[in-house]
Formats: sequence, C-alpha cells, structure tokens
Amino acid sequence: MLDLVESWSGSRSAVVELRNVTRTYRMGDEVVRALDGVNLTIEPGTFAAVTGPSGSGKSTLANIIGGIDAPDSGTMTVNGTDLARANDRELSGYRNQTIGFVFQSFNLQSNATALENVALPLTLGGMRGAQRRERARECLEAVGLGDRATHRPNQLSGGQRQRVAIARALANRPSIVIADEPTGNLDSERGEEIMGLLGRLHRDGVTLLVITHDLGLAAKAQRILQIRDGRLTETRPAQGRSAGGTG
Amino acid sequence: MRGVDLAGTSLRNLRRQKLRSALTVFAIVIGAASVTIMLALVTSAKDFFISQLESTGQLQQVIVSQATDLDYEHAQYSNSSDGTGVKLTDALVSKISALPHVTAVARNASPYVFDALVYNGQKLTVNNVQASDANGVIVREVLAGRDFSTADGAGTILVSQPYADKLGFKKRYNDLIGQQVTLLTRSGFTGEGAKITPPNTGPTNNGNGNGPGGDGQQPPPTEFQATVLGVVADYDNTLYFPLSWTRALLTNRHYEMTEADRLASEEANRRAGPGSQPQQPKLTLVSTNELDQRGYNSLTVKADAASNVDQVAAGIRALGVGAATAQSLVDAQLKVFQILGFVLGGIGAIALVVAAIGVINTMLMAIFERTREIGVMRACGATRATVRRLFTVEAGLLGMLGGLVGVAAGYGLSLVANVFVNQQLSANSVKARDIIGLPPWLILAVVATTTLIGAMAGLYPALRASRLNPVEALRYE
Repeated sequence: MLDLVESWSGSRSAVVELRNVTRTYRMGDEVVRALDGVNLTIEPGTFAAVTGPSGSGKSTLANIIGGIDAPDSGTMTVNGTDLARANDRELSGYRNQTIGFVFQSFNLQSNATALENVALPLTLGGMRGAQRRERARECLEAVGLGDRATHRPNQLSGGQRQRVAIARALANRPSIVIADEPTGNLDSERGEEIMGLLGRLHRDGVTLLVITHDLGLAAKAQRILQIRDGRLTETRPAQGRSAGGTG
Repeated sequence: MRGVDLAGTSLRNLRRQKLRSALTVFAIVIGAASVTIMLALVTSAKDFFISQLESTGQLQQVIVSQATDLDYEHAQYSNSSDGTGVKLTDALVSKISALPHVTAVARNASPYVFDALVYNGQKLTVNNVQASDANGVIVREVLAGRDFSTADGAGTILVSQPYADKLGFKKRYNDLIGQQVTLLTRSGFTGEGAKITPPNTGPTNNGNGNGPGGDGQQPPPTEFQATVLGVVADYDNTLYFPLSWTRALLTNRHYEMTEADRLASEEANRRAGPGSQPQQPKLTLVSTNELDQRGYNSLTVKADAASNVDQVAAGIRALGVGAATAQSLVDAQLKVFQILGFVLGGIGAIALVVAAIGVINTMLMAIFERTREIGVMRACGATRATVRRLFTVEAGLLGMLGGLVGVAAGYGLSLVANVFVNQQLSANSVKARDIIGLPPWLILAVVATTTLIGAMAGLYPALRASRLNPVEALRYE
C-alpha cells in the first residue's frame, strides 16, 4: 500500500466555523429541531467524532458542514466565507474541492468500474480523461485496490467497496473528509481496516469528521461532539486513546 | 464537467438500460422514418415534376389558343372554330414570331379524319391525333425510333406507347419501327388521297341523293399506308402526324357547278338547240382547307427563357388570342405538393410527439431509479446545472439515435419504394428513374429535429432531477 501522504499536495487548512446554526424539519405536523443554535469551530487537521442517538441531528450537522444542506439560520463559514448564503455553483465547488464524503452504504455506481467511481469527482471538477484516470488509479493504489481498478462494485467485498468510496472521497485532495457511519455496514474486522485507513488520512493532515454511534470508535477521535435534541456538547477523550497520538 | 464527459456519461447511462433505451429510440425511429419518407416523397415528386416540365421545355412555352379563357392544360387540346375571334393563321404566326423573346412557334393541328388503325389483322380505334411543326418546340419523349423531322411528310406516323403495346410490341418497341400500318379514314373523307367521283346528277341538283350515284352520297373510307417512325411515351392512345400531311388530310374537296360551269352548260344547251336532250352539266373539283378556314387548333410558342414567358404571353394576348403558360400549372401543382407535405409532415409530427412523450416517460423512470446516484453526484460536487444538462443530453441522445436510425430506415424504405415507383413509371410510359431521393439537408434536418425534440422532452425530467434535495436523494431507497 502506498503512503497516503503521496496523494496529497498543497496546504490543507480549511477552518470551519458554525455560529448559532439552526436547522428544523417538518415531519407531518411535527417540527423536528435537528440543530438548535449550534456553535462549533473545527481547526484544520482535526479528527472529530460526532455521536448521538439516531435522529439526534448528527447527520444534519455533517450535511451542513459538507455543503449538501443549509442552515435555516446562523452562519457556516469556511475560511471566512459564509457558505450558508452561497449559491449552488459556489457550494458545488466547495463540495467538489474541499469535501470528501464517505457513506455508510458506500453509494458506488453499480454499472461503473472502481476506477470510474473514483474518477467521478474528478470528472465533475473538469479534469481531462488521461490525467483523471491516472489520479484515480493513484487513489485506488493508496487504499490498496490498485489491482481492482476494472472491477465493478458487485465484484468487490464490502470492505473493498468502502475503500473504493474512500478513494473517491480523496480523489480531489479535499481538506475535509466526512464519513457518515463508515463502518456501519461492515463486520468489525473490516470496520477496523476502514478506520485504520481513515486514521492514516488524518495523520496526513486531513480534517476528519466521523459520524458514528459506536462510542469505541468515537473514542479514537481528538474531539467527540455529542448531539442530543439538536444541542451540541463536547467531550475530550483521554489523550492516549487518540488516533492522532504518537502511537 | 466537460462537454465530452457529459456526452460520454449520458451514453453510458443509456447503455445501462438497453431495452428501455431501445424501445424509446424505436418510437422516435418510427416518427423520424415516416417524416423522412414523407418529406423525401414530396420533395422528390416536386423535383421530378419540375424536371419533367423542364425536359420537355414546357416551362419555356406559351400555348396560344383562339379562346382567351383557357388554362395551360386545356389550351393544349383546344380546337379552333371559324366563328368569331382571331383565327390562328400563318399571318398570326408571323406576328408572334416577331415578338421579343420568341425563339420559335410550332403550329398544332389535329387531323380528325381517321377511324381505325389496322395492322397484322388487328383493327384499333383511333382516338387522339396530333400534328405539330417539327421545329424543336414540341419535345416528345421517344422510346424507340425517332421524332419527326421537317423532311417527313405523308405516310409517316408516330404511335404512343399504349398503341404499341396493343399492337403486341410491348417492351420491344424497336421492332415496330419501320412497320407499315394501314389507316382507315371515316366515310365521307374528301381530303387528299380520297377518290372522289363526280356525282352523276341531272341538270337540276335536287340534292336528295336518292338516285343511283346521286349527289350527297358519301365517298367510301380511304385507306392510307403509313410507316411507323417512332414510339412516343404517353398515357393516351395517340397517333402523331407530320403537319404537312395533316394539312393535306384536312383539305375538303367536292365537285361543284361553278359559275363558269353553269355558263358553259348553258352555252352547250343553247348550241344543241331547243328540244334536244339536255347536256350533262360539267362539274369542277373544288378544294378548301380547314386550317385556312378555321386556323390551327393551337400554337406553341417557345420563349428564349422561362423567366420571359409571362412577357411573351402578355404580348400574345395583346393580339387578341388566348395565351397560357405552364406557370399556373406549376403553381397549382406546387400548392398540391405543399398541402401534401403539410399533411404528411403532420402525421410524422404526431408520431414524434408520441415519441417525445415516450422520452419523457423514460427519463422520469431513469430519474426515479437513479435518485441516489444523483444524490452522490451532487455530494461529489455536481451543480444543479450539471445534473440538468446530463439528463437533457441523455434525452437528446435518445432523439439523435432515433433520428439517425430513422433516417437510415427511411432511406432503406425509399430504395424499396423506388423499385415499385420505377415499375409504375415504366408501366405508364415514363422512363424509369429513381424518383425518391434523400437530399443531405433532409437527413440533417430530421436528425437535428429529433435531437431537439429529445432534448426538449428531457427538459422537464432534467429539471426535476436537478431540483432533487441531495440529502433526501442520498437517503432514497
């Protein structure tokens, strides 16, 4: 497996700041407060875990930081730019260049090869064919799947699929990777593998935001953000258990 | 996202649902093929019609008739009368020839004197008879042999294709050339060639014709031998004669007691003395020519260019006769083609509308199925515009594929249709040629139209896709 550091270049220093962010949903007659006056600053290179019971709003927080959802009120700035007021084009550029998503259910295109799946953000970013394939191959090699480039998702195991998804997330060298229950669909051994991979990303300087209800997994983070009824509280885990520790 | 990637992604997405894409394309193919064939048919028929008129020089012709109210088609078959009106005489021909832009004038007449054509034991009725100057104004499509030259005179004819067929020379018209046929005139024919005997009448011409050999008895039919010089492509049973022979045939001759004869007869009786048997009166054969009396049936005037026929026609009308041009015929015919084009194009358009609904349906289905994928694309940085473009291009590709296959199918069908049309044409004595053709502009227009229809049909589904909330799309099962 290649060192992930090789996949990165340039400065990765997006500072994310949420100020008084509120997000409500209407579910039938009921109004659900997914986020209620959340204030949060994430420094570059942080490994943060977001925990909380299901329906508590942790995915909403991740979606807002990831730029696929917008707060009803409050501001969400990245390096000083308010993305809560950004237009579709700016927000899409932000998702494409700054954010990498990893989903619980992998969300790979079943008809496309691993390489094509990894290349998706590059294609959307306007990169040319040859350069794109080279970069996608690089990313697949970085997650240990250099020999699976032409395989389709149904020819890969669950762990391999999630590694393809991680390769896709890091294709455009994002500064923030958001992983929403990345191990939720995997057995514990594969889950360990994936977390190991994400941990390496963090060590390489990427800001890592992992949404999980697995407290053991969350304990490896530098910051643990707990959301309950839309309210954010934070606990700091013991230094020695941090994935970012000297080890 | 770059345009080439947009197209590539769209194409790959279409390939994912091969059957559904194929069925949707098929509907467009039907519409595109029918539009192609219909437009090809109309434009080709129009071109064929114009080229037919051009090849026979009709666009450069003005038909002159005694009647001033005839259109082009009727003027061709007009008859002259010795009543009122300006007769189409040689004097008039000289005047018309002197008009500007007139290059030549052909005089037309019909020797309506024949009853039957006899050949090899067959006796065929003679219907239409035509005669014109052989000066190159009237162009006939000759299937075998040759057209008249000015040197041809009495005893030469051309026959139309239906006649040749009836005479047993179908598809071997060359064998008929040089054959001798017998032409039987009507009884009472007194033109040149008829044997006219002086009536055996008394001095007082009572004209009841009851007596043996009395006056008023019609002469028996006259037989003419004629050599077939050529076979002409025509729909009707028509015989063609040289104008010089026609003039001779249209000469009416009869014996008449002229003033000189009467005086001579009186003188003879006076010399014989009273009481003597009265002398048989002397009669003279008098001939009058119908063409001189009534004028020619029509004149065909050739202008130096098709653009000058209207001016020539106006000049001729100023002489007090009717002048018709093919332009009115062309206008009427073009209107027919135009209407035909609208109707047939309309049918094709309906087919394409149905196909467009198919595209909308297919694309809506695709969006439901790919909701999650759209969510992933959005999460990976696709703008709403990119998603919209992707689905619009996909729908446009369906339209383009349908257009391409449809044009190809239309072309194939037109090749088949040409075989039948050619058969029909040769059966109707027109030289076979591939009438239905696909001009390049038509191919381009059809493909461009179906592509546009596809893209437009894809607009609404694409808009829906682009408006999907990425969070909900990612959660979609």
